[in-house]
Amino acid sequence: MNSVSPSTAQYIQSQDEAQTSDPRKVLVPGVGERSLGWNGHCGTAEKPAASEEPDEVDKLKAKLMSAWNNVKYGWVVKGKTNFSKTSPIYLLGRHYCFDSAVSDLMLKVPPGENQTRPMPAVSLFRKDFASRIWLTYRREFPPLEGSVWTTDCGWGCMLRSGQMLLAQGLLVHLLSRNWTWPDALLSAETESEPKSPSKARTGIVSWPVIPEVLSSQQERGGGGGRAGGPRAAPASSQARRPVSVTTPGREEREHRRVVAWFGDHPKAAFGVHQLVAYGKSSGKKAGDWYGPSIVAHIIRKAVTKVEEAEGLDIAVYVAQDCTVYKGDVMNVCSGQPGLAWKSVIILVPARLGGETLNPVYMECVKEVLRLECCVGIIGGKPKHSLYFIGFQDDFLLYLDPHYCQPVVDVTKPGFPLESFHCFSPRKMAFSKMDPSCTIGFYAKTRDDFLDLCKHVTALLGSTHGEKYPIFTFAEGCAQDYALDEVRVDSPDPTALISRSRHTSTGTDEFVF
Amino acid sequence: MYRSHRAQRFKHAKSAASRKAEAAFIRDKYPQKIPVIVERYPGELYLPFLDKAKFLVPQEMTMCQFVTIIRDRLALSSSQTFYLLVKNRSLVNMCATMCELDQDYKDSDGFLYMTYASQEMFGSYWSRFVSVPGKTRRWEPCGVATQFPGTIADLV
Repeated sequence: MNSVSPSTAQYIQSQDEAQTSDPRKVLVPGVGERSLGWNGHCGTAEKPAASEEPDEVDKLKAKLMSAWNNVKYGWVVKGKTNFSKTSPIYLLGRHYCFDSAVSDLMLKVPPGENQTRPMPAVSLFRKDFASRIWLTYRREFPPLEGSVWTTDCGWGCMLRSGQMLLAQGLLVHLLSRNWTWPDALLSAETESEPKSPSKARTGIVSWPVIPEVLSSQQERGGGGGRAGGPRAAPASSQARRPVSVTTPGREEREHRRVVAWFGDHPKAAFGVHQLVAYGKSSGKKAGDWYGPSIVAHIIRKAVTKVEEAEGLDIAVYVAQDCTVYKGDVMNVCSGQPGLAWKSVIILVPARLGGETLNPVYMECVKEVLRLECCVGIIGGKPKHSLYFIGFQDDFLLYLDPHYCQPVVDVTKPGFPLESFHCFSPRKMAFSKMDPSCTIGFYAKTRDDFLDLCKHVTALLGSTHGEKYPIFTFAEGCAQDYALDEVRVDSPDPTALISRSRHTSTGTDEFVF
Repeated sequence: MYRSHRAQRFKHAKSAASRKAEAAFIRDKYPQKIPVIVERYPGELYLPFLDKAKFLVPQEMTMCQFVTIIRDRLALSSSQTFYLLVKNRSLVNMCATMCELDQDYKDSDGFLYMTYASQEMFGSYWSRFVSVPGKTRRWEPCGVATQFPGTIADLV
């Protein structure tokens, strides 16, 4: 089999090992022995756990819970993930092909000799992947209002997936899709020349992989081109400077700001405390299971609430009956007259089959994940929520919230970011995907939105001869259609029913 | 497993011959209408049952209208998810007419079968049983607690 494993995309340890032994001890051999081993999820994130000593009983409980989750969800079983070297891998609209002469060569020679050579595809992919915000179960956070839950282990996975999708949307919104976390692969190094495309940076990786060189060309290429945007920024976001003035500080500030919104304390704007509170109106409470569409509505409520206060300049639209009503999106985005167009996150709750994913939708899901405007799909395997961010061949690439980490105090300046990023990509066969999901899109400007409508409609529909696509775009507002129905169909539905009942004498069980 | 419950109760309650005969009779009698069977997805936990499963739908009715009618009958709010599935596909083309659907998805017995479902919830069973003070077991095995409303006889 032609795969990049073990060198490129392999886990050098299972979760189990990471938990039961000193992370450093486990990880260090990886540095020396396998040049590009991808260490297990969050070896670094274990550090806080080792240093903190909470109450013994709680700790035992939490350990049991997290151990159970780990066993239950197969972190241990699947030790490594291999990615094909020949097929391109798509990550939220970007694609990476590992099969290049350079990467071939790089994989075979010992790490020490390659420190000055660029390693485009694999490293870029890893950097891009590790820059996505990863939100997992947390334990020992302040109790959720009206309950005794201090963890979301076992029930909050869909909320976490939703948070990840929103976090990705906010990252794209505040920074841009091109943004990557400098620490994802490299030690924090001052970003002196963000506009210089050929600048290659060298550094020691902050997580235990080999020191390596990374050409930042691709990430910097279109830089914050879209980040600044031509839009009039509201007063509170004046700090977002135009493209060319990108300073190293700002990106990090925004990055931390986004992560802090997802902190696990009652004040965090999109923290689990707030989201659970918003879920109450959908009849959900702490400890309940959530579905992708409920989470979509929770996200909408949460964003609407804090959008203004935070100067986010963003709106969330949730499609109804798998139809995105353009008029409704416009209304959501323009808000009050006189205000500039708000960026929008469009969430489309869908059901791609009955019991299992209908294979006819697979190509379409792939097409969606190929789009740069897509901010991922929240869904999962049955009962096991995942945040899908890409694919390779017939495998979905995901971020998995099923990993219980101790809470991080995001209110402290300089809080550790490592546990909010995942360094080991994993994949799952499309056939295992649960048909329930919510697809997320992001459009910065009005034009972007119109482009999005055009592109998505094209890929959903006629291009594949698909008469019944996953979802559709419609002109106007949902309200119009409701009126239309009454108007066009002249009699109201109930009248229609009673009339037909009357006529259908021989088959009176029939309605209409 | 609840998943293995028969998806199409109507279909299993009658023989193919009698279904065929019934559909033929209806189609003959009401050439402008389509006999549609709408049933709840067997794994569905959140949406209520419909009081009726058999619908005679005008050919020119769009999915949008049909979905609205079913939603009304189920008394769903606009933010509640509701999907009509036909042959394991989600029918979201709201402009499609019943006539088109009928052509594409009519069953060999002459009826057009639809299943409705919301979305699955995600979480581990274990979380439902964890002993947390103040929490009780709320989870019940799917399918056991549910009953098909109106009896099968009601449909035939």
